[in-house]
Amino acid sequence: MVDLTCRLGGLVLKNPVLTASGTFGYGAEYHRYYDIARLGAVVVKGIRLTPSPGNPTPRVAEVTGGMLNAIGLQGPGVEAFLHDEHYLPFLRSVGATVIVNLWGTSIAEYGEVAARLEAEKEGIAALEINISCPNVKHGGVAFGTDRKLAAEVVRTVRRATSLPLITKLSPNVSNIADFAEEVVAAGSDMVSLINTITGMAIDIERRRFKLANRTGGLSGPAVKPVAVRMVYEVAQRVSVPVIGMGGIMTGEDAVEFLLAGADAVAVGTANFVDPEAPLKVLAGIERYLERHQLKSVSELVGAVR
Amino acid sequence: MEIGTILSNQQLQGDYREVEFYAPEIAGSAVAGQFVHVRIDERRDCLLRRPFSIHDVTPEGGVRVVYKVVGTGTRHLAGLNPGAVCNLLGPQGRGFTAPAPDAVPVLVAGGYGAAATYLLARTARTGGVLLLGARSAGDVILTGRYRAAGFDVRVATNDGSLGQRGLVTDLLAGVEADYAGRKLFFYGCGPHPMLLALARYLQGRGLAGELSIDHLMCCGVGACFACVVKIKDGSAGGWTYARACHDGPVFPAEQVYLED
Repeated sequence: MVDLTCRLGGLVLKNPVLTASGTFGYGAEYHRYYDIARLGAVVVKGIRLTPSPGNPTPRVAEVTGGMLNAIGLQGPGVEAFLHDEHYLPFLRSVGATVIVNLWGTSIAEYGEVAARLEAEKEGIAALEINISCPNVKHGGVAFGTDRKLAAEVVRTVRRATSLPLITKLSPNVSNIADFAEEVVAAGSDMVSLINTITGMAIDIERRRFKLANRTGGLSGPAVKPVAVRMVYEVAQRVSVPVIGMGGIMTGEDAVEFLLAGADAVAVGTANFVDPEAPLKVLAGIERYLERHQLKSVSELVGAVR
Repeated sequence: MEIGTILSNQQLQGDYREVEFYAPEIAGSAVAGQFVHVRIDERRDCLLRRPFSIHDVTPEGGVRVVYKVVGTGTRHLAGLNPGAVCNLLGPQGRGFTAPAPDAVPVLVAGGYGAAATYLLARTARTGGVLLLGARSAGDVILTGRYRAAGFDVRVATNDGSLGQRGLVTDLLAGVEADYAGRKLFFYGCGPHPMLLALARYLQGRGLAGELSIDHLMCCGVGACFACVVKIKDGSAGGWTYARACHDGPVFPAEQVYLED
């Protein structure tokens, strides 16, 4: 019997498989397929202070080995998230471990959202700071590609909450480990990576952009080697826990991230292909551990030679 | 999720084909206007599922889908033989509501939108009207099945090669005149501009109906917010983005927000 418990500093999860923010709605959408309390954690879609409509359509385009998205962080706003029955009250009622991804269009807004979540934090295990969404004009990646701004966002959120803080890093930078170091110094308890890689697709017959937003974030199996490399680089640089993601479709994919230095993994685009993907990834990790006669996930972390 | 074994997969007309899956759970619970989300190819170069309106179901557990070969996914689907399997998610979404006993259902379809409204016609048992608009005669499909279901079928084509020359919405006034004094209930499925024109017509005349409306779909379960459509609400802007796969794809016609 293998021990799947995952310790991310003070945050203890029942297993190392999370969902990637933006690919899992607010949890309820997948609870009709399986009990989402079985997951290490549900990371909900990004929450800001007020409701946001998101971007015009089309918002997605399939590309070889993956997809582009430019959803633009459509969301209900923090008050609806805290009180509407579809969101946090639902997640509490099913006993899910919840990580809330938060964002803002100003540094102050990040702090205000964090303060609202801190004030009603029952059922919230941690916060994930989104400074890496490439699809919004104000906020998101604008903070994640400037080291000073990234640190300022993290410091502001840190002052507003005592919850464990994860900072989700953008791959759209020249040296992601520098950013990891910066946000950890600013008070982030851990980091998650990668968010999507900025891309573009063009319909050659119509000579039009496939996405209304023109650019979008690339995700899916196509980004996995980039993500594994970045997780390795970050894990080499910082001593805090690392949550790895980017194109994980199977347990074997997840093991690759663990070996590169991730303490936990998140399943994203695979949810769109197979609603049960996170459970299958978890079962795959378990089978790998048994096959290699390992007792716990931690024995794999960073074990690449 | 259900593993659907292909029972048949054949050409209907031109690039239009019909596939029947053996999927008794989906067949037993589907209503008109719902869809199946099909994982056509387990290889990674065709990653996402493809949504298809449920055309018909059989008492023996068959789920029928009418599709047009337009890209990678549908080309691959067209190559699958009986006995091949696809992973199916469904029935997904909110479908059409059955017409009231005293109402005449008027189905307004564009192109293979006619595939999605057929189950409504077959189960209505009261007869009704099908208005079908298409680019050209070769795109006018399934009219025989609607006639067999007792429907008054009227066709418009852009090039005039079959039926009246023009748009399907040009046929609406004639139906209102011919069925004067009867209570009409409209159902729409087709390309976005056609549905907006239909919604404008219905809203302008205070006529009731339901439209199947969506944008490029991804997860099919309400998680990714890709397939959103503008639905009226009480906000300052007058609309909100609703998820077609989760809150629709069928929405009351009066709720559809009319873009400029």
